[in-house]
Amino acid sequence: MRPIEFEILLSLAGGERHGYAIIQDIEARSNGRLTVETGTLYRALQRLVEGDLVRPTEPRRTLPNDDERRRFYAITPEGRRAAATEAGRMASLVDAARAARLIPGGA
Amino acid sequence: MRPSFLAREPWYCRAYHQALRAFPAEFRERWGQDMRLAFADRVRDARSTRHGTPWRLIGSEVVTLVAAGVRERFQASNRPSDMIHAQDIRYAVRLLARSPGFSLLTVLVLAGGLGLSTFTFSFLHTAMMRPLPLSEGDRIVRLTRMREDGRRAPVDVVDVAMLRASMRTVRELGAYTEREVIAGREANRRVMSATVTDPVLFKVARTPALLGRALLPSDAEPGAEPVVVLSHRTWQVAFGADRAMLDAPLFINGVSTRVVGVMPEGFGFPVAQDAWLPLPTTATTATLAGTEFLSLFGRLVPRATHAQAASEATTLLKGALVARDTSGQVAPRTAMAVESFPAAQIGDERTLVFTFLNVLAALILLLALVNATTLLTARANERVRETAVRMALGASTGRLVMQGMWEGLLLCLIAGLVGTAAAAWGLDAITRWTQANMPDNLAFWWVWRMDRVTLLSAGAFVTVAIAVLGSVVSVRAIRTNVREVMQDGSARSGSRREGRIARTLVAMQVTAVTVLMFVGVLSGVMARRAVRIDPGYDPMNLLQVDLSPPVDRFPTNDARMAAFRDVEAGLVDHDALDGVLLRARLAEPRGDGGKFALREPRARGALPTANVLATLGAVSTLGIELVDGRNLNASDDRTHAPVVAISRSLAIRHWGGQSPVGAQLRLAGVGDTLQWRTIVGVVSDIPYGDPLSRDRTTDAIYVPLLQTDESSVDVFVRHTASELAGRQALHDVFGAVDPLLVPGYVFRASEVITKAGMITTGMTRLFGACFAFALLLAVAGTYGLMSRSIGLRTREIGVRRALGATDAMATRMLLAQGARQLGVGTLVAAPILAVIGAASTHFFPLGRAMTAAMGVLVSAAIVAVVLGATWLPTRKVLRVALRDALWRE
Repeated sequence: MRPIEFEILLSLAGGERHGYAIIQDIEARSNGRLTVETGTLYRALQRLVEGDLVRPTEPRRTLPNDDERRRFYAITPEGRRAAATEAGRMASLVDAARAARLIPGGA
Repeated sequence: MRPSFLAREPWYCRAYHQALRAFPAEFRERWGQDMRLAFADRVRDARSTRHGTPWRLIGSEVVTLVAAGVRERFQASNRPSDMIHAQDIRYAVRLLARSPGFSLLTVLVLAGGLGLSTFTFSFLHTAMMRPLPLSEGDRIVRLTRMREDGRRAPVDVVDVAMLRASMRTVRELGAYTEREVIAGREANRRVMSATVTDPVLFKVARTPALLGRALLPSDAEPGAEPVVVLSHRTWQVAFGADRAMLDAPLFINGVSTRVVGVMPEGFGFPVAQDAWLPLPTTATTATLAGTEFLSLFGRLVPRATHAQAASEATTLLKGALVARDTSGQVAPRTAMAVESFPAAQIGDERTLVFTFLNVLAALILLLALVNATTLLTARANERVRETAVRMALGASTGRLVMQGMWEGLLLCLIAGLVGTAAAAWGLDAITRWTQANMPDNLAFWWVWRMDRVTLLSAGAFVTVAIAVLGSVVSVRAIRTNVREVMQDGSARSGSRREGRIARTLVAMQVTAVTVLMFVGVLSGVMARRAVRIDPGYDPMNLLQVDLSPPVDRFPTNDARMAAFRDVEAGLVDHDALDGVLLRARLAEPRGDGGKFALREPRARGALPTANVLATLGAVSTLGIELVDGRNLNASDDRTHAPVVAISRSLAIRHWGGQSPVGAQLRLAGVGDTLQWRTIVGVVSDIPYGDPLSRDRTTDAIYVPLLQTDESSVDVFVRHTASELAGRQALHDVFGAVDPLLVPGYVFRASEVITKAGMITTGMTRLFGACFAFALLLAVAGTYGLMSRSIGLRTREIGVRRALGATDAMATRMLLAQGARQLGVGTLVAAPILAVIGAASTHFFPLGRAMTAAMGVLVSAAIVAVVLGATWLPTRKVLRVALRDALWRE
């Protein structure tokens, strides 16, 4: 799984979001260190949708002047499992890095 | 259509919308709207927090979007539907690479046809159709009066003023005339071709001067300072690109004239000029009709057509003529023509010439396409079993058609590239050649190069080629009969009728190519001879210039003869020269002009002929030496007895071994019928006449120039020191005889011969290329047709072999088939060759034996080509295993 795909799944794990909300979430989570352009985001979204990890939902308004054409995306159960697997892999990598004293913490 | 909400979008959203096009349409349809909304949200937020346009964000978004779109397109092309095309392309490339000889031959045949068509179209378009290379050049027009005989003529100066004041469809109307002027003083004088024009010419051309300024309306006012604008070429060639020339005085026809500007390189409006002088306003305000005539130029107003302008001008002209002519009778065919300068330059025939030559080129392309099609069909024949197997395995017809198409498409594209490159090279070569050899009379818009029209025409021809080749190959694939082919194992889809057609085509091809090659070889030999022609004299250190004393200053024959005598005497005395000859050609042996009669021995029948030349000075300047008697000299004038000298060959022809000195002859052909001329000398031979003509001969009669009425002569001088000193001597002596007697263009004799050589070398190359292309077509076409014809007999050969025929017997049988078609083709070609050969030997200096030998040579080449083209497919047929050939049985 590519990092951008994991970031998207991570954002959607917290609930349905539209494209710009995903970008905002990723940038906020990384304290602005990570910037996602729309072209990159939607190419990744296409891959996730084709892999059944994300599904588009019906358009709806969350705010009174929201554009009704805006589409929301939700994580699928497969997406959740894939993200969990990826997170577990990353966690084990982090443990390994700690054990190798590349980063502080741990035993 | 663009969604209506986009109209309300800010510019960056529109830019984003455009950048989205980098993505495949499918992707845009699915994600495009979401992406635009997300982008708009993002920019809006950034604007609200940063209080300004987030340039960096917008730039980064758009650039990333385009990059992501390109990546998406690349990945999309690897999806299954495109994979099939990629496979087909790879398959076609493999097929072409597997038979490099076939591929090369097909590409060369196609490239020849495509290149020739593109070159012809582009060359003619530039010469005749392309608008002037000036700003809005398509609206610049030339106005001329149509004469009763349909020719164009300048307009009466009285009508110029009327047209300028009244025309509504043409603005900035101006008048001009072309004139030869003498620039410089004393030894540095030169003849220039100048346009004397309304200063509005430069406004119409929308071209500013490179240095200084163009002509201004004030320059044409009465009493204005005389000024001149030089062309870039004149400034470079005549004045060494010296910037000090600007504002410096230059004597033009003896009047001190200030050089106020130099025009940019390549500018020569209206046609080809060395300089521009102002046309005095008084010249176009004349009131007396019939005194002076001027050419007109102007700009069409927007949306006006040539026809509308011509109609308006004609109406105005007729009105003016009626007003002038008290009888009220105006010729019904009085008309004005308004056309572009290139159109006016070529004349009414341009559409005909353009169409005719393009049709010829298209026919050659068609011939090349037919041959390439034959080659591809032959290849398809060889692969017919493979095609049938594919169909049997479930390949759709569409798929097979696409496979065939790709092969043709690739061949056409490669051939198109090669052909277009060759055409571009040809156009460039033409431009370089014309600029080097015809700088004085080359219209300034005649610059041939690879341009948009050339590329478009090449694209059109390649498209036609793809359509033709693709459809033939596809039809072949569609018609493949799986069952028959699988059973037969050979190309049994052909019928007897097809075989007969193929054989007839071979015979026709043999005839056409034999004739084409024969003409090519004959032309090449003649051109080659012209290159190696011996001028009969040493061209080194020899200068040649025309001397035509102007009639207004030398009105009588005596005055002209005195001028010739003075020029000759002056040149003889000049230290820089050691040989001077004034020569005029009075008659050539062809026709009646060269006829002469002998007093003794009197000839019977028709009068003999010779070149008749008038000379003054030393004939030894041209390497002609005295053999017997004396040379003609300056005392042989009208006050003395009429005399001639003759060439040695003429003396031998008519007097055998005896000296003709003292004998008499009469020049019947040049109106010199009453007086007998005494032969006073015999001189050595040099050849006269066109190198490519049968009339080239050394038979010559030399008459004293001073005993003729000639008004113009060629002056030959041999310089001892430098060439410059020789040219200076010509200027000095001419100027001493009369200040307005200025040498025109002084040629080097070697230059004349080199130019003639260049033309004939060009012709040789052209004919060589035609010959090579004809040979290529012969090889390609005959091979394709024979391959097809023999392929149809695969099973028959198999049966024969099964019944005991050896390979040698089968080979003989098939070669005999080729020989039969060869025989038929040659039989038809033979009388055509005979007619062409006879005509060539009659009109050109070609021996019968040599012409016959060339005919035999061409026939031998054709025999080799046809037998070779028969042998190759024969070998292939014999390689088919007997079991495969007889599978059906």
